[in-house]
Amino acid sequence: MSTKDDELLKELEQEEYKYGFTTDIEMDIAPKGLNEDTIRLISAKKNEPEWLLEWRLKAFRHFLTLKMPTWQNFRNPDVDFQGISYYAAPKPKKQLESLDEVDPELLETFAKLGIPLDEQKVLAGVVAVDAVFDSVSVKTTFREKLKEKGVIFCSFGEAVQEHPELVKEYLGTVVPQTDNIYAALNSAVFSDGSFVYIPKGVHCPMELSTYFRINAENTGQFERTLIIADEGSYVSYLEGCTAPMRDENQLHAAVVELIAMKDAEIKYSTVQNWYPGDKDGKGGIYNFVTKRGICKGDNSKISWTQVETGSAITWKYPGVILRGDNSVGEFYSVAMTRNMQVADTGTKMIHLGKNTRSKIISKGISAGKSHNSYRGLVKIGPNADNSRNFTQCDSLLIGDRCGAHTFPYIESRNKTAKLEHEATTSKIGEDQVFYLNQRGIDSEKAVGLIVNGYAKEVLNQLPMEFAVEAQKLLAISLEGSVG
Amino acid sequence: MSGLITNNMSTIVASSLFQQLTSAYQEVETTNESSLLKSLRQGAYAHFEQAGFPTVKHEDWKYTNIHHLVNKTYVLNAEVDIANLDLSKADIPGLDAHRIVLVNGQYVLAFSSLDDEVGVVVKSIQEAVEEIHFQKHFAQHADKTGSAMVALNTALYTSGIYLSVPKNKVVSKPIQIVHIATGDQEFFAQTRNLYILEANAEAEIIESFITLDNTASNLHNKVTEIVLDENAKLQHYYLQLASDTGSYINHTEVYQTKHSLYNNYNCNFPGVAFVRNDINVRLDAENVESHLYGVNLLADKQLVDNHTIVDHMKPHCESYEWYKNIPQDEATAVFNGKIFVREDAQKTNAFQQNNNMLIGDKSAVYTKPQLEIFADDVKCSHGCTMGQFDEDALFYLRARGIGEESARVLLVHAFAFDVTSRFSNDAVRAYVEDLVAKGLEE
Repeated sequence: MSTKDDELLKELEQEEYKYGFTTDIEMDIAPKGLNEDTIRLISAKKNEPEWLLEWRLKAFRHFLTLKMPTWQNFRNPDVDFQGISYYAAPKPKKQLESLDEVDPELLETFAKLGIPLDEQKVLAGVVAVDAVFDSVSVKTTFREKLKEKGVIFCSFGEAVQEHPELVKEYLGTVVPQTDNIYAALNSAVFSDGSFVYIPKGVHCPMELSTYFRINAENTGQFERTLIIADEGSYVSYLEGCTAPMRDENQLHAAVVELIAMKDAEIKYSTVQNWYPGDKDGKGGIYNFVTKRGICKGDNSKISWTQVETGSAITWKYPGVILRGDNSVGEFYSVAMTRNMQVADTGTKMIHLGKNTRSKIISKGISAGKSHNSYRGLVKIGPNADNSRNFTQCDSLLIGDRCGAHTFPYIESRNKTAKLEHEATTSKIGEDQVFYLNQRGIDSEKAVGLIVNGYAKEVLNQLPMEFAVEAQKLLAISLEGSVG
Repeated sequence: MSGLITNNMSTIVASSLFQQLTSAYQEVETTNESSLLKSLRQGAYAHFEQAGFPTVKHEDWKYTNIHHLVNKTYVLNAEVDIANLDLSKADIPGLDAHRIVLVNGQYVLAFSSLDDEVGVVVKSIQEAVEEIHFQKHFAQHADKTGSAMVALNTALYTSGIYLSVPKNKVVSKPIQIVHIATGDQEFFAQTRNLYILEANAEAEIIESFITLDNTASNLHNKVTEIVLDENAKLQHYYLQLASDTGSYINHTEVYQTKHSLYNNYNCNFPGVAFVRNDINVRLDAENVESHLYGVNLLADKQLVDNHTIVDHMKPHCESYEWYKNIPQDEATAVFNGKIFVREDAQKTNAFQQNNNMLIGDKSAVYTKPQLEIFADDVKCSHGCTMGQFDEDALFYLRARGIGEESARVLLVHAFAFDVTSRFSNDAVRAYVEDLVAKGLEE
């Protein structure tokens, strides 16, 4: 009996973070340190045009003038910007023509992660994947099929080479280099990322997906995603992330920019499962991400959905600027923290156009000694007549050492606007757990069930494949936090 | 009882209030004060000097710019003729109350009456230094917030009152405290109050702020510390009726112990140019209850900023907060409500609601209802809405022959009713409802 228990326990321990392996691949890593030479090196490695190098340097010079913000209600980590390597790419770095040329170790890694890189095997699949390993995009699948429709889906580096006019026109228009310290850092040193362009009137035939993986030690990952949906188009984009278990903290500072033209719709989903650190708060990823979309044209729509279970500290506020009339912004979020994790997340909805609508549903679950905050802004400009916002943020507390916080900023300068905001914080319902216990469901499963029900409103927004994964993630994260 | 009120500070030629205050402090330092006060003032001044006046870069002052208020000079020791004080502006019909009168913060005994209340002590704050409660509580609560404006007040307050209600005493009538601003020179007044309710004491305090006619522009930095002992109950009203020459920065810090009850009713009306209220309640024992209510009807270019903190420090406490803002014209209403539930403050019930009705074309509302919760067995919620007149309701009323104007007044009344219906004093409720109706007509 006891040996079986031990086995089970062992299994559980491994379950704790099953993506915690590293992959032995020869890497091309830039020396540690941050200075103009590093940026020139990255730019040269990527064979970038002169204007992009200048753009990076401008961001870097601005970065140097910035101080770390101090408004958080958690301990601000000291990030040693000089102790990080800003470029790591799998070797050999040559043009990858087909899957055969990709390092087999790498393929194995992605297989472990469950990413179907092998096009042969997933012909029946409906997802096109761009896999980003450390800083460099390794492989983008289904490109030919997408090309037929005129959809551009490639790594950021390729986009710079092949579609410089698009990149130049839109890069930094939603998240300027000067937006915040991490956006400035990203603008200076970003190494790769994904680029999507959906032409006029095209309904993207499949879900587009990026998988991010930090592998090498002492590296930071700084990717940049740019999605442009031209008039009347539609795209659904998924993003997933994992990292190996390491004792030191690693930095992930990404920038995502979405641009929706007239009548276009972008749906952006994230399942974030970076390594959260161990139960004493050692190690883990600092996930400091700037994500923002703009509804440029009338009747456009941007929808963010996120499931956040990983990272030592998550710090992100996907926002929507509702500039076009009748445009719609949505934000659905489930953030689950445990042990010593901190999640400070929320959204910004900036209403500028008339009849603009936004909806915010945020569900926080804190367990252990973790802290979970909703921090958001809803702003109604003077010209945003008849705009509408609904916000709901609920927090669920499991254990008496965790915290749940709400910091909503609500600003209205238009009398025709209607806004509603509600937030509740409560403990997991004892009577609900009792009800399930009575029916033979143990406490741990009961809590899992309740949490899944609680998060359902958000999980329903995810595409099928992701919803299943997200549900499993929530269940795993809950393990050991009950009792 | 005619005469002049002065204090011992002289006016110094300076280009900004900050410089004036620096010189004023140097003068205060040389006076003969108790060592307790001296060290308190010293520490507070050092803090203020280092922090300076808050700017919009401070998170707590993000929407409230006081630059235009502190960027000029004032008379710090305004002389006041109290021969012909007209207190009629503070009259509340049907209210039978004791009255305490403060002119620019100075306690005027001649106009005040508190007869038959055995054991209740009211005196100017300067004369209260020997009081045991003063020595125990003065500057022990508000100053902990680290606010630069409180520090400035501690360092340089020149007026105010000390009020204490003894054990088991239930004050028979409400106490109305009338704050009068008057003077033909632009002045800056720093008032410091300390109210103590001993165990089982009960009182109702109504504070009215009025401005006499032809008063030059005036700025007030007022701090009130309130201590409620075991089982004490305090009903506390703020009725802001000052005219557009007045600007007020008020800090109220309430410290509650076991089984005590504190209710605050904060009402602001058209007139006063600028109001910043900080109302903080610390629930530092079990079974404490606090209610904070607010009705803010604003007009013209008024800015009224209400910041509240409800700090649940111990288990089994309850708090309830409801603020209603109705900005008209180009007025700005700011609400910032914070609820803290500290670790171990289990079984806390905290409720907070903020409703806004924007009437003015250029009016604005900035609101930030916050929860910071560090315990799990709690029930906390907050809600916030912003909207306009309900067109359907308006139509319904008009269809029944009610003119548009009256229909609107009726709807605003209904909007404010959630809060006004909770007033403990009927006379004050009727008075406030009347002021809301008048404020809408203008």
